Amino acid sequence: MSQTEFEHTHHHGRDDPLSGHELRDIKDAADLYQSSSFKLQIDALLPNVRPKESGRQQLDHFLFALRTHCISISSIAPMNPLAAAKVLAKQGVAVPFAFPLPSRDAKWKVAFEPPSEISVVGSWGNGIAVKKQSGSRFGVDLSVEMPEALFQEKDYLDGRFFHKKSYYLAVLAQSISTAFDVDTFYSSALGDPRLTTLVLRTRNGSTSYDFSKSHAEIHVIPVLSLSSPLLLSRLFPSHPNVRIPSSSSPSPFATPIYNNAILLSTVAKEALISTYGLKNALPAFHDAYTLLRVWANQRGYGDGELCVRGFEGKGSFWTGLLRYLILGEELVGTKSGSAKLRKPLGKGLSSYQLFKAALDFLAKQNFGETPVFTKTTNGHRCPPEEYITHHPAVFVDATSTINFLSDVPLTSLDLLSHDARETLEQLSNPGASSDAFANCFLKKRFKLSSRFDAVIRQGISFFLVDLSQASRNQSTSALVEHGSSDAALLTSIASILRRGLGNRTQAIAILQPVTPCRPISSAESPSTSTVHIGLIYDPAHAFRLVDHGPSVEDQDSNVAKEFRDLWGSRAELRRFKDGRITESVVWDVTTSDERAHIPVSIVRHLLQLHFGISAKYAKTLQTPFDSVLRLPDDVRRLHRATGGYKAALAAFDGVVRDLKALDEQLPLALLNVSPISEYLRYTSTFAPLPIPASASTEFPESLRFLPTIPIILEFEKSSKWPDDLKAIQKIKLAFFEIIAQSLMTSNPGLKVSVAIGNSSNPFQGCAALEIFTTEGWSFSAFIWHDREATLLDRIIDPSKMFIGPSDQKYNAWEQREAKVAQELYTRRFIHAPRHHRAIANLCHKHSAYSGTVRLVKRWLAAHWLLQTHVSEEAIEIICALPFIGGKQKSTESAAIVPHSKERGFSLVLEFLTDWKWEEPLCLPLYEDDSATAPEVWTSNGPDAVAVHRLRKFARTASKALHNSATELDIKSLFIHPTDDYDIVIQLNPAVLPRYYQNVNAESSVWTRDSHLGITESTPRPGFDPLPLFLADLQSTFTDTLKFFADPFGGDRIGAIWLSSLGTPRSFRALAGFSSKPLSKEDEAKDKGRVILNRQAILDDIGRLGTGLVQKITVRE
Amino acid sequence: MSALPKYLSGFTVIPIAYPSSTHFIYARAHATSKSKTSKTNHAFPEGRTLFLVNIPPDATERELKLLFNHCGKTERVVFDLNSTDALTEDVSDSDEEMAEAETEAVTNEPPNTETRPRKKRKLHTSEPTPPEVIPLPSSSLRTLRKTGSCAHLIFVDSSSLSKALSPPASPIPWPSSDEPRGLSHYMAKYDNERPPLDTIRAHADSFMERFEFDLAKSKQEAKYKKGEAIVDEDGFTLVTRGGAYGQTLGGGVGVASRKFMLTGKTGSRRKKEKKKEKDVFYAFQKAEKQRKAILDLKRNFDADKERIEKLKESRRFKPY
Repeated sequence: MSQTEFEHTHHHGRDDPLSGHELRDIKDAADLYQSSSFKLQIDALLPNVRPKESGRQQLDHFLFALRTHCISISSIAPMNPLAAAKVLAKQGVAVPFAFPLPSRDAKWKVAFEPPSEISVVGSWGNGIAVKKQSGSRFGVDLSVEMPEALFQEKDYLDGRFFHKKSYYLAVLAQSISTAFDVDTFYSSALGDPRLTTLVLRTRNGSTSYDFSKSHAEIHVIPVLSLSSPLLLSRLFPSHPNVRIPSSSSPSPFATPIYNNAILLSTVAKEALISTYGLKNALPAFHDAYTLLRVWANQRGYGDGELCVRGFEGKGSFWTGLLRYLILGEELVGTKSGSAKLRKPLGKGLSSYQLFKAALDFLAKQNFGETPVFTKTTNGHRCPPEEYITHHPAVFVDATSTINFLSDVPLTSLDLLSHDARETLEQLSNPGASSDAFANCFLKKRFKLSSRFDAVIRQGISFFLVDLSQASRNQSTSALVEHGSSDAALLTSIASILRRGLGNRTQAIAILQPVTPCRPISSAESPSTSTVHIGLIYDPAHAFRLVDHGPSVEDQDSNVAKEFRDLWGSRAELRRFKDGRITESVVWDVTTSDERAHIPVSIVRHLLQLHFGISAKYAKTLQTPFDSVLRLPDDVRRLHRATGGYKAALAAFDGVVRDLKALDEQLPLALLNVSPISEYLRYTSTFAPLPIPASASTEFPESLRFLPTIPIILEFEKSSKWPDDLKAIQKIKLAFFEIIAQSLMTSNPGLKVSVAIGNSSNPFQGCAALEIFTTEGWSFSAFIWHDREATLLDRIIDPSKMFIGPSDQKYNAWEQREAKVAQELYTRRFIHAPRHHRAIANLCHKHSAYSGTVRLVKRWLAAHWLLQTHVSEEAIEIICALPFIGGKQKSTESAAIVPHSKERGFSLVLEFLTDWKWEEPLCLPLYEDDSATAPEVWTSNGPDAVAVHRLRKFARTASKALHNSATELDIKSLFIHPTDDYDIVIQLNPAVLPRYYQNVNAESSVWTRDSHLGITESTPRPGFDPLPLFLADLQSTFTDTLKFFADPFGGDRIGAIWLSSLGTPRSFRALAGFSSKPLSKEDEAKDKGRVILNRQAILDDIGRLGTGLVQKITVRE
Repeated sequence: MSALPKYLSGFTVIPIAYPSSTHFIYARAHATSKSKTSKTNHAFPEGRTLFLVNIPPDATERELKLLFNHCGKTERVVFDLNSTDALTEDVSDSDEEMAEAETEAVTNEPPNTETRPRKKRKLHTSEPTPPEVIPLPSSSLRTLRKTGSCAHLIFVDSSSLSKALSPPASPIPWPSSDEPRGLSHYMAKYDNERPPLDTIRAHADSFMERFEFDLAKSKQEAKYKKGEAIVDEDGFTLVTRGGAYGQTLGGGVGVASRKFMLTGKTGSRRKKEKKKEKDVFYAFQKAEKQRKAILDLKRNFDADKERIEKLKESRRFKPY
């Protein structure tokens, strides 16, 4: 070994003293976590969501003081509950009694004794607290044990326990608020007064007990000691524990949620101890729990700006979930064999594995069908069947006494499963282009429009009045059971929607803002103001036209009755083609747009029928979005012709047939005709619309635009082609001429012409065959001859040329032109057909893709960026991102894939908001992923200016879209602000054939007698002066101005001065901009300098656009 | 307005009155620089050529002629290409094209019109008269140029030049010629690009005839004949791959693959042989490999760490 080499290795050794320990860490990171970088990211995340050490001392200090104070509160003799409440009311403290309220002549009495025990419980007690959403404080749960002496055996009846507890809490509130300089509030999770706690926060400017540094608030929770006189057997789910005096129904009803709420007061300490055990037994428990909570908080399962219904204040569910996974399952009844029981997880799992196991469980669990019983120490204390029959969802904790999910609607659990599935998909596909870690833990998922396929917003306060009248028959039992009218209503909405939508949706989300804290002087929790209902479609069923019910034979059965009750007047008996006669609901639709709205209209119908919520209070974003993609009504009436993609494809097939029929008359056989148009792949903003020649002449100019649909003809190979580019172009002309002649003789209806194009580029073929059918479709055909590529190659790179007869040299100008021609050649003949096929496939695979692309194109066009700055193909590829997500084999039902165009649009906007356009975007779109052509569709922009604008617009739009508080006018997303353009050129809409597509098209433009203007008798398919003018302006003023315009019927062009020309510069002959000399005074300093002649340029523009330009506005 | 200078770095400033502003054209007598070859002398006769800078982007020959009508008759106007085009063209022009320049007045214009195909030059030495190419119909349309571009204006009489170079007292209004502008320009262009079918046929046929004629002629003159070997001065026979559709052009000795021609390397046979040797044979190799794997692991880990640190700084890991 040479000296240097030795030193080299030695150096390495010193640099990396890889100890076994370190090595194991690195190995573990890669093996036990997804990857080492994932592990590092987790490590970076965890400290940020845990309470800091600072301020803990002050908090402890306060907690001690609080404890000392509470123990010394003097007892209050028993008295009538209402009288006692009155005493407290005088001191400004309300008693948060729950329904049914205590009566005046109650025989039982409330009293106060100092608590027998005070302890910190919950996640804070175990030191595993996790930061909450949107700056909420850490919650320090302080359990205050009410002495047994205050309770009697019968207290489980009629809410007496809750009344006593409420009184106890009110006394504590009164005493604490007077003794300490802190802010006191009542807080009722889920708006349920039975779950009211007392919240203590540092008062601003308070000096005595300032624990604001710890960023925590204290929740005082009165609890019941284990040896209380209330019997567990009385509180099983099946027991009816509330008797309503006025109720006429003789049969008492079971009160499972009520019972569960009582039992919740008994388990705090046990849960603390059990979690402590877990935390010590499993080193990864703490981290896994933190990850799980962060994941859940980001998705609204916790206190945040919006909360999934039922998950407010459900912190114990998440520890319960992990406990279940770690301890395993308790045997239910006599279920045969314990083999099927879930096996407990190993203790050596890493935090990430434990987290993933939890997600896996959530993703696979169907809470509606499979009950969950955590392994207990002493077996079931309550018969499991009771839970199964009385609760919709069952997740019983290790004490076997409480069900975490008693008041969580099944819809929320469906959503939980769905979210878990989605995250697992992302985690198991780490190769995806998007960042799995960020998606999992860092991204907020409160942007409803990008999370759900449809979002319905309701101002609940609107219909609460309605509700109280309409659902008077909805027995008070629901109220008693759920604790508040809001809760009863939401539970009932959830279950009805779930039944009504059935398998149309994968999940229904009911989200509401977190119940706010209220001052201790108010007894009742404020009612919920708004509710958001989000739907996630199942694409296979969502747009089904008919819902089948039971058949006619079961007419009188319960099932049939339920079906009719559910649907009301919409349910009818129908005979179907296969002979069945069933109860059914048929949704009439006329357009595909309406079909996409079926799930939403079902929700509307059900809300109206069952809750009397009229449709105008249930708002969605869909209809305004549809109208953005549709032509104005009177335009459609005028056009008369029926367009659409199907018709366009049929017309294309017809043209192909006609061309193939010419076989004998052509010198070469036609092999292939490939479409390369957005009109033939469902992605044009407007559905294609034919304009027959006869109709065209009747239209005013502003309605005349007819797009030409490009197609490509491929002939068999032949050696007869000349070996010269220019001759090839001429041969093509001759070909076109023959095809045109013979097509017109064989099909008299067709009008075929040859557009020779006009280009200064000698190598570029710009001729096209234009076919104008009788129905009014226009196609333009190009001939693909593959020899062109080789010939162009030889011009560009002379080394590829063989030594032969034509040893001509090409100069630089010719080489440059050849490069341009080659670019066009590969784009048009190689990439465009392949792109077309890939996109058409995607449209077939994902029904929402086409709508998404159309919306995004419309939006980009409306913001003056499409075509000139961002090519349509590039947008089609970007829109594919949420659908295929960097993975080839994603199925339609994958959780991440959007199923409505609105959600797709919103997701694309989100992507564009932080689009790093410098970084390449790779999508496995084509079948053969070997050949990639990254710059094909983006070579002409966007440039930095355009992308900067794009991102800005995307940010504004997505903010507006997600701002749930404001009423949003969708159309305003498509209105372009023109304040920041230096120049705005107003064009005359009456001469723009595409004007009818304008976002704000005014019908007066085409209704007024526009025949005064220029009217041409011959239709000009594809003629649109705006892009021609725009291109001319852009090429003329390349170095002076940058132009923007809406290609879809825009009637304005915006321009900005390029900043480089702002200052005077010395005169040059080839400066490339229009200049004026500086006036003599200025010139005294520096001679021979010129400055941009802005006004003259504006005059130039006006002259170039004679007949088009109406007015040029310059920003001051 | 009067405060503006009349001359600027040797150029006369000619103000042009626009509807609401003044445009400025800069004029100078054309002077041939020493580096330039004689051919430009022919194109732009010194003494009566006016060099104009910053002409309006849509100016036509007629309009410029009208503008200088008061100075005298104009022989012709030559619009310059973009600056870079003009320069590179001059540098790369070969001798052949010099000859062409002698017969054809305009050199700087690219061969872009169909009526004047590239092959035309071959015609001068040919005996039989070539068939004429029937041009496609073209009506007069404006060509837009980049803003601030230049033109050479050649007067009939050299006395006009000095007249043109004396600064005018007041802005001259911009004249206008018949070519359509704006919307009517685009419409005319659209119609113009769709000529009747028979003219297309006539054009294509006549062009091909001419092409065949030229091809035949160039074959006659060409150094290499089909079927004959290409032999260089040292007497070596060059063996090449053929032209289109597998015809060999030189002698038919054998054909080198395209890959060989481009890269100088033969096929894939060599690749296979490489992999024969075993990687891990001796114990030290094995140890070395393991050590390397560990080091790689460490290096990757450190790289990841660094990346995360960087992300940390951007406050990324504050989820909310």
